[in-house]
Amino acid sequence: MAVYRPSQSRQQKSETGPREPNLVPIMNLFITIIPFLLMMVVISQAALIGLNFETAGGDGSGSGGSGPGGGDRQIEIRLYDRDDATGLFLGFETRDLDKKSAKYPYINGGFDFISMQAALEQLKTEHPDRVDIAVIVYPEVLYDNLIRTIDLCKQSGFVNVKYMTPRTMYYY
Amino acid sequence: MSRKNTRSSGGRKVRNKTEVSAELSITSLLDVLTIILVFLIKNVSMEAVKISEVSGIQYPTTISKEEIIKNPEVVPVKIYLDRVEIGVDGLFFGTPNDLGDTKKYDDLILFLENEYAKIPPDKKDQACLVVQADASLQCKYITQVVSVGTRADFANIYFATIQDEDWLSSYRPNLARN
Repeated sequence: MAVYRPSQSRQQKSETGPREPNLVPIMNLFITIIPFLLMMVVISQAALIGLNFETAGGDGSGSGGSGPGGGDRQIEIRLYDRDDATGLFLGFETRDLDKKSAKYPYINGGFDFISMQAALEQLKTEHPDRVDIAVIVYPEVLYDNLIRTIDLCKQSGFVNVKYMTPRTMYYY
Repeated sequence: MSRKNTRSSGGRKVRNKTEVSAELSITSLLDVLTIILVFLIKNVSMEAVKISEVSGIQYPTTISKEEIIKNPEVVPVKIYLDRVEIGVDGLFFGTPNDLGDTKKYDDLILFLENEYAKIPPDKKDQACLVVQADASLQCKYITQVVSVGTRADFANIYFATIQDEDWLSSYRPNLARN
């Protein structure tokens, strides 16, 4: 009795059937790259806030602030942190374009940022077309307070913040 | 893995060769990995390493967050309470008080001018000085660094902060001060 046996050609056909591509080297590559990329990923809440500088003559710091006799028309916010013979008080002061000043003393030993926000929003309401403000900061003010002030300025719509230090003027 | 089944059918033996494949299909896994890879490559930025959070500095908090300019040429300056580190490599510069020293001040200008000079001419506009300073520092140190940065022609100066959208409602003055 003859034994059924697949023909030679059928045997060949099954051997040369469709083959899946060999993905193992690609997998190896991916498995190498992905941990490397994950190591480089930095997950943090770090943020950045930028400064703006005047293009004409401003050097970003020490360029002034309009002290007595200053002729620039700009909205200012001044941060004081010294209570000495010069008469500086502890707190902050806002000045609008007409040099109209409003002073806000410390509350509980620190800047009153709630009032600062309200004052900045008031200034923005009065001058809706202005987007620049000068932050004039005295040397002893803490960096934290400077950044919070810049932050509130930007939140209130004054997106161009100039960083200035007070100008000391001597009269003879 | 293969299994050979043999069954009898009407006195005739039929050898049924059944291939049972138990290989793990890695195609779907490969798809997932491809998506992850594309996502990571898109998001990974070498600049992020230069301005990542560093330990030893308590950052100030802000509500707002600004995007850094595209393709920046970052030069970081890290001001700790007790030391100042400059450049991507974190070179030790001195203490914050040294920023007031004329010689050290000039050295810092020279360093930043050299860093600025290394930037290709077509990327000078993207020169970016990132100040990473401790929240408890006095502004006089920040002023010195900003002053040096502007003198070295850095057009973009950023302050590194931690984003906290609720800082105003939770602010307690006595805790923020020294």
